Amino acid sequence: MLTELGDEGVQILAISPDPNERSQELAERLKARYRFLSDRDLAITKRYGLLHAGGGPKGQDVPAPATIVLDRDGLVRWLTVADNYQVRPDPADVARAVRAIK
Amino acid sequence: MSKYGLALLSLVIAIGAVVGYASLLRVPFIRNHPLLYVVAFALAAAIAAVATAQAPHWPNVTALALALVLLALGGYLNFVMARIPLGPSVLRVGQPAPDFTLPDAKGAPVTLASFRGRTPVVVVFYRGYW
Repeated sequence: MLTELGDEGVQILAISPDPNERSQELAERLKARYRFLSDRDLAITKRYGLLHAGGGPKGQDVPAPATIVLDRDGLVRWLTVADNYQVRPDPADVARAVRAIK
Repeated sequence: MSKYGLALLSLVIAIGAVVGYASLLRVPFIRNHPLLYVVAFALAAAIAAVATAQAPHWPNVTALALALVLLALGGYLNFVMARIPLGPSVLRVGQPAPDFTLPDAKGAPVTLASFRGRTPVVVVFYRGYW
């Protein structure tokens, strides 16, 4: 998804409730600068106010898709939270937000 | 234009919207404007409705029925099924993001604050594979 950011010297942390093994498979398949983090009980998703209760196909809780760009001080510089699960941020917009930090 | 040109046009728009949206999901502009397929179905329905009003023959009625079914399904998907109710966000531009420590794919803990002073971070929350 964010291969545009491959050489930008940025750390991508991808968080989902998926078990670690499945994230590992995905990480190896993509060979991207992603670190896949597992939020099994959605505690961090809730802390970020991103819980989509009952939003999964089997009625389970899932995160609302969100992308947050943080600068070196840990401050939010850009963010987008989807209100429609068909929609994803344009990788070019994310890359632009990251480049604006430099 | 043939006798059922409008019905044909309606079918092409409706089917074209389905095929086009499904095959262009990787194009961010298409993916991020799902309303486009709803508009296409509505346009197909309007054209077929005009054709049916002019001549209530089965090709026109069939095109109208198909467009209306697609419009109902597409509208339901876009406006009901895919909708994510959002609570008040805790995130503000210019404010710090809440810290966290989560296990990575190998089980090693990763702490957001450990990147401070080192590198920008993009945090992506995604729904997962289920």
